[in-house]
Amino acid sequence: MTSPMIVGYVAGLHRRLPAALADEAADGLIETYEHHLASGTGQQAAAHAAVAEFGDLETVIGEFTRQAPARRAARILLATGPVAGASWATALILSHAWTWPVPAATRLSFGAVLLLAVLALAAAATSRHSYQRTRLTAAASPVILVLDATAVAAVALAAPALTAMLGIAAGVSLGRIAFTAWTLPRLAAR
Amino acid sequence: MKAEAQVLKGHLDTLLLASLANGPRHGYAVKEALRAGSGARFDLPTGTIYPALRRLEAAGLARGTWSEAGGRRRRTYELTPAGRQRLSRDRAAWRDFAAAMSAILEPAR
Repeated sequence: MTSPMIVGYVAGLHRRLPAALADEAADGLIETYEHHLASGTGQQAAAHAAVAEFGDLETVIGEFTRQAPARRAARILLATGPVAGASWATALILSHAWTWPVPAATRLSFGAVLLLAVLALAAAATSRHSYQRTRLTAAASPVILVLDATAVAAVALAAPALTAMLGIAAGVSLGRIAFTAWTLPRLAAR
Repeated sequence: MKAEAQVLKGHLDTLLLASLANGPRHGYAVKEALRAGSGARFDLPTGTIYPALRRLEAAGLARGTWSEAGGRRRRTYELTPAGRQRLSRDRAAWRDFAAAMSAILEPAR
């Protein structure tokens, strides 16, 4: 394999994708190139034909990014966020949560960390040509998991009485905790 | 042509599963099988097949294994039992859909 065009393409794959994905795609590109080379075309023509058949680098990176497991996980967490948020808001208002013995600094920290995690998930969920950006999910989802767990623990420890709405909100959070715990090891493996 | 590509994308999972039905294949071989099987009408950019195969693997419908070919790492895919079940369901659904469409578009004279 000596075509500078193919060498550059493969380098681009390795720069922008995890090693396993880059290796797999590079094998396909080189096989396509070799196929054209074997049919008698010169190196340059074979390289152009291979890239035309394989798809340009932006298209291929975009497709890997669009189908990245971390991007899908971020989208699911973001989609369930409003449900969890609305459940918790309703439950906390109905339970007069402002009277609970939770320090203001703790409440503010909770909100700030939640905001940062949501922004990171939004960046991962909307990534179109950066596979690396989808990996923000792996950093943000444990934070979301801890925040959901904190909210459930706060209800258990600080709520004077367990209302039906608090139960629903805690149930939504437990569902998100289960999803995150199930997804995280799979994201780490990719 | 663009519309056909969109329709094709909608059926990509089923086509990929069908291309693995007769045994393990790697990405390039899957692409060639689709091209040959469709009389060269289904000619997707090869590079977009790899992410789709990864997605099928993540969904538990295909299983990938690494091997060495020509000094390069190659990933080959085969159907899992869940993949075979899904393909069987997709085939049945397609037969029903095609029969209904044919009945409307080509009514018996």
